Amino acid sequence: MPREPTSPVADAIPPRLRRKGGTPRQVLALTLIGTLALGLFASRDLPSWTERFEIPALSRLAATWDGAMAALGLTRPHETLRAAVARLIEVGWGGKD
Amino acid sequence: MLFPTFGFLLFFLVVAAALAALDGHFTAKKAVLVVASYYFYAAWDWHFCFLLAFSSAVSFTAGLLIGAGTRKRLVLTVAIAMHLLLLGTFKYLDFLTLSANRLAHLLGLNAELPFIEVILPVGISFFTFHGISYIVDVYRGDVAVCKRPLDMLLYMSFFPQLVAGPIVRASYFLPQLARPSDAPIPIAAAAVLILGGLFKKVVIANYLATGLADPVFGAPTSYGGPDLLLATYAYAVQIYCDFSAYTDMAIAIAALCGFRFPRNFDQPYRAQRLREFWQRWHISLSTWLRDYLYKPLGGNRYGRLNTYRNLLITMLLGGIWHGAGWKFVMWGAMHGGGLAVERMLITPRPKTLAGKIVSTVVVFHFVCLTWIFFRAEDFTVASLFIGGLFAGWSDGVQQAGPFTVALILIGMAGQFTPVRLFEPLAARLERVPVWRIGALTGIGVALVNALGPEGVAPFIYFRF
Repeated sequence: MPREPTSPVADAIPPRLRRKGGTPRQVLALTLIGTLALGLFASRDLPSWTERFEIPALSRLAATWDGAMAALGLTRPHETLRAAVARLIEVGWGGKD
Repeated sequence: MLFPTFGFLLFFLVVAAALAALDGHFTAKKAVLVVASYYFYAAWDWHFCFLLAFSSAVSFTAGLLIGAGTRKRLVLTVAIAMHLLLLGTFKYLDFLTLSANRLAHLLGLNAELPFIEVILPVGISFFTFHGISYIVDVYRGDVAVCKRPLDMLLYMSFFPQLVAGPIVRASYFLPQLARPSDAPIPIAAAAVLILGGLFKKVVIANYLATGLADPVFGAPTSYGGPDLLLATYAYAVQIYCDFSAYTDMAIAIAALCGFRFPRNFDQPYRAQRLREFWQRWHISLSTWLRDYLYKPLGGNRYGRLNTYRNLLITMLLGGIWHGAGWKFVMWGAMHGGGLAVERMLITPRPKTLAGKIVSTVVVFHFVCLTWIFFRAEDFTVASLFIGGLFAGWSDGVQQAGPFTVALILIGMAGQFTPVRLFEPLAARLERVPVWRIGALTGIGVALVNALGPEGVAPFIYFRF
């Protein structure tokens, strides 16, 4: 007779964080909104991401989208952060390299 | 298909849409997840989908036969042998051939075995362990026989854990497939895990790899002791951030699909004993090895010497599980030996703060020493690396800059923050409307992406 199923390991997300939550439809909404926000603020990388699909029309669309986001000034946070990190990497032990 | 890629995001959008459309139809939901998982696996090499399906069929059939009481022990042995044969063929055949040829050469024999160059299927070590754990659990009566092929297919192939774990036991996962869960989906906790995981992988692990660990481990003789030491610390932080990031994202994605996964990491570098390190590092593997190898070997039940032997065998095999190479054998032997010595000395847990700090530092450095073998190209490079640690200290650092050192410190600081720092954050986010969590997650992902280097390096544990 099989014993009751045992669970010797703890859940990664503890039960107290599972009391409130959402439905599969809300997960879909979360993913859609997240993708849109990513498209708005990470448009600089969109052309290189879409290149991997090897669909020229998609690559063109990504480039156009990036241009539109740049015109709106939404690419500035991305560029500022990337430039800041690039500067940090260059810093040597005696200050600037 | 890597988690932190645009391709995966589009894939998950389709999966999330299908799960939302099929809400309330549990069997259809499971079928969709099986199809999605096989598609996910086929993205690497579709040929290996047959291997995954075969492995699932072996486990399913063995479970049914054991459940029916037909020659249980024989079925168990044959099924485990089949799993190990597959793993051995795809993962160890080349290594064994090379080792046998080298031995023959040393003995002055002219005979040479043909070298086939077998392609290693991604994640084979993980789904093999899933299959074995199911068969053994059914044999032991720890889990009911799975009578639905769909459940077995999903258990073996569920895409969040398919290629790099965590190793999810049948006794943990199959009950979740028996009936739909009425618990809400922990969206806030999942969002926090995804963002934290992305930061660890994209920013910390990737920069430490490209900026310090890869160049120094690639040519250790070109660097002095300070760079070699910092590269060792960098790799210790890199492998933790890389692997725990994958696990965090896997847990979050499984949660968004409506399933629970076990905890796999618990700030391992704060361990005060090596035994404790293994209770905190890759927990799903260490508990697997304990329950399916160490305990069946006799565990600590037959005297001290047998216990030391069992520890050594378990960790040696744990080392070989990571890869076909003598460096992994050495890594396992060091951990097995370390655990045996620790047990031999019966070291009590330190009580004073100074004692705790010293223990933590000693354990961390022992683990770092083992990582050198794990990371180095081969034994020779590892030996050169260790020798170099004691030379060239007057030259100062050449490769490690303030940025990489800061990343090492940030990574190490994460080991000593209050346990489960993410919980209060997730609890606070629970009160925020879903659309806002979505927007915050999207913006957070964009920011982390901007902070990281261009392109995504594969996860270290994919090759295991």
